[in-house]
Order: sequence, then C-alpha cells, then structure tokens
Amino acid sequence: MTRRLRMIVLALGGAGLAALFVAACFGMPGFGGDRHPYGDRAVHASLARRTANTISSVNFDQRAFDTLGEMSILFTSVLGTVVLLRQTRDEKRGRPQPQEVALPVRRYALVVLPVALVSGLYVIAHGQLSPGGGFQGGVVAATALHLLYLGADYRALERIRPIGVFEVGDALSASAYLVTGLAGVLAGTAFLANTLLPYGTFNTLSSGGTVPLLNAAIGMEVACAIVILLARFLDQAVEIEEDNGKR
Amino acid sequence: MNGWTWTATIALGVGVGAAVWGVVTGPLRRRVVAQNLSSALAAPGLLLLAQGYGRPAYVDLALLLALLGPVGTLVFARLLADDLAGDPPRAWAVTLAVAGYGAVVVLVLCAVTGPGRAMVKLLVVGALLIGGNLVASRALSGGFPGSRRG
Amino acid sequence: MDDPLIVVVLLLVAAAATAAVAVRDPVRQALVLAVLGVCLALLFTVTQAPDVGLSQLAVGSAVTPLLIMLSVRKVRRRQQDGKEKER
Repeated sequence: MTRRLRMIVLALGGAGLAALFVAACFGMPGFGGDRHPYGDRAVHASLARRTANTISSVNFDQRAFDTLGEMSILFTSVLGTVVLLRQTRDEKRGRPQPQEVALPVRRYALVVLPVALVSGLYVIAHGQLSPGGGFQGGVVAATALHLLYLGADYRALERIRPIGVFEVGDALSASAYLVTGLAGVLAGTAFLANTLLPYGTFNTLSSGGTVPLLNAAIGMEVACAIVILLARFLDQAVEIEEDNGKR
Repeated sequence: MNGWTWTATIALGVGVGAAVWGVVTGPLRRRVVAQNLSSALAAPGLLLLAQGYGRPAYVDLALLLALLGPVGTLVFARLLADDLAGDPPRAWAVTLAVAGYGAVVVLVLCAVTGPGRAMVKLLVVGALLIGGNLVASRALSGGFPGSRRG
Repeated sequence: MDDPLIVVVLLLVAAAATAAVAVRDPVRQALVLAVLGVCLALLFTVTQAPDVGLSQLAVGSAVTPLLIMLSVRKVRRRQQDGKEKER
C-alpha cells in the first residue's frame, strides 16, 4: 500500500464516520429538554426505595452490577500498577531525604489533613442523600493522607501508612461488595438485589436499604486503591533508583 | 435564569476565563499562579450557582474545590520547587484581590442564608478557600527551600 | 433554561481542552489539565450533574497532578543519573 492509497482509505473512513455522527446528531432529543423517559423511571424507582439521591440509587441499587464491574476495573488496574512499578533486581532503594517546609505550609497541611479526612467520610456517608458517594469521598480521604507528604516529607507519610494494611483493606472491601451481593442470593432474591434491609426513613442517613452498605464498601475500596497507587508512584519517584554500581 | 446565576455567569466567564488564559501563556511562574487562582475563582462561582439553583447540596462541590484546589497547588509547589526557585512568582496583589472576591461572595451568601447550619458550612468553605489560597501562594514563592529530593 | 451560562462554561472547557493538547511540555500540560478539571466540574454542575462534577473535582484537582508530577520527577532523575554516569 502506498502512502497515497493509505490516505485515501483514511479519508474515506473519516468521511463515513463524520456522516454517521451528523446523522446521529439529527436523531438525538433536543438539548436539555424536559422529556426523560429513563430519568423519570429511575427517579420513580429510587423514591420507591426511599433513596434521596437518584444517582446513588442508580449506582448501588438499580445498576449495582455495573458498579461491581467498575470496582473490579479499578482493582485490577491498581494491581497492574503494583506489578509494573515494583522494585526490580537492578534497582536499589535509597533513603528519602528530609525536606525543609516553610512553617505556614506545614501548619496548613497539618490542620487541613483531618478536615479533609472528615470531609471524605462525610461525602461517603451522605452518598444516598446528597451529591457524592463512595468514589468521590474515597478519593478525598486518600488525598488527605498525602498532605503529610506535601507538608512534611515522605518518611512522615510512610510512618502513618502501613501499605500492607491498605492492601488487605482493598481486598476486604472488594469482597464486602461481593458478599453483600451474594447475601441477596441467599435471602432468596437475586444477586445485588436491594431486598435485604428495610428501606428506612426518606432523607435520613439510614435509608435506601443496602445502598449505604455498598457505598461504604466502594468508599473503602477506592480510598485503599488510591493510597496503594500513589504509594507505588511515590516509591518510584522518591526512593527507588537504578543501581549504578553493578553495571 | 435569576440574578444569582447571571452573576455566576459573568464571574465564571471573566474569572475562570482569565485563569485559563494565564495558565496557557507566559512563563512558568505565571502559569502556577493562574492554576492556584483557578480554584479560588471557580469556588465562589459554585457557591453562587448553589444559591441560584436553590440547591444547598451543591455547596459540597465548592467545599471539595476549596479543600483540594490548594492541595493541587501544593503538589506543583513541592515538585516544581527547583524550577521556581530561580524565578519565584510574585503576584500578591492579584492573590489578595481574588481572596477578597471570595470573601465578599461568602459574606453576601451568609447574609442571605441567615444563621444556621448552612451558614456555618458557608463560613467553613470561605475559610478553607481563602486560607488555602494564601498558603498555596506562599508555598509557590519559596515554600520548599533547599529542595533536593524526598 | 440557563443557556448563556452553559454556553460560557462550554467555551471555557473547549479553550482549556484545546490548550491541554497544544501545550507540549508535560509539566505545563499538567497545569493546564488541573485548570481543565475545574472547568469540566463547572460544566457538569451547570448541566445538573453534581455527582459527576464531584468525581471530576476529587480526581482532577490533586490526584492526577500528583501522579503526573511524580512521573516527571522520576524521568528527570533518571536523565540526571545518566548524565552523571557519562562524566
């Protein structure tokens, strides 16, 4: 195939794709209209199960199986990072040097760390009530821990972050999600069906049946996964260096 | 649209537009300042939108931005300390002006909300926003002296 | 309808996203990406999707810049080590 022929094939394919996109655009419902057939049904189902935040109801009740898939994507990608960024035989681990930090920055980091941690837990706990949920809160909580790296140095972070505990926590919370799903099967309905618990009072923390449970499992899974992910990157960037002596 | 969302439209268009312009052009010291100010300019806009839509739950977005925006700037300040050491950013006038803008928005919204839990939350967002913004500016101009690695 | 608001925020996203592609240096790209994250969170908010906006803020404002900047630091250190070895 000559270069010219390749360009012609590319142009044909691109033109076809563009034509399909244009055709699809004309077939779409108007922007921001008030007719949402799926939305109406989702809101109805979420109110029937007394979950104030419809998005949480979709994520952890109506489409809980999809969330299981997303959780396993995060789990396996973190696993892949752990394997790729491990310390290989020709690398050695240096000790991170302490870092001077200006006093206001250090104080800010130490004050905001607990605030951010509590905000993360707040976002997880209110997932069924207000915008937010396990994923968002988990990321915030994991970010909060890393303020210790930003406000002090890597050794300070390593002291409060036993990586083994977080790896176990990651696996445990992933299985907690599965076990909650299987409990539905044992109770005689279906996998991840929201029939185990009473639906509770609308717009309170204890509402939505299994939604808060699955939410908490996701929150813990995401927080642990992000901590492990960043730990591997930090190890590579700060500690692990190529062993120059041998080669 | 009501007055709140119109104000948010103008504030976001001008403020965040300027931040985008600042982060795209110019030397590194200007870009980091623009990145820092982008969160301080967007969070008051989010508060105005929460008021305009009549949805207090949207304040959570501003809370998270006020918490994590300065943390993001600290990341850049920490890991670019060597690059910024020779040419530190000096933009206290702009930083203080943006902090004042955040304070005005928070105080106006507090006056409209009236005393209660919602007002406490607004004040917390405001304190985190202004404090974080100022500390992040301080971190950018020599917050990590003598940086080698670690 | 809040059309002017959506148009303004869409324009901001378009400008920041184009710039994120056009800027070539990874460090500056990370800075533009952080601002693009804020713009995207605004877009999700004005189209009434605060959950997605929160996800974008949580991931885009601190975790993504940290990952990119740590990778940059690793690459730079390796280049420095290589230069020292040559001497």
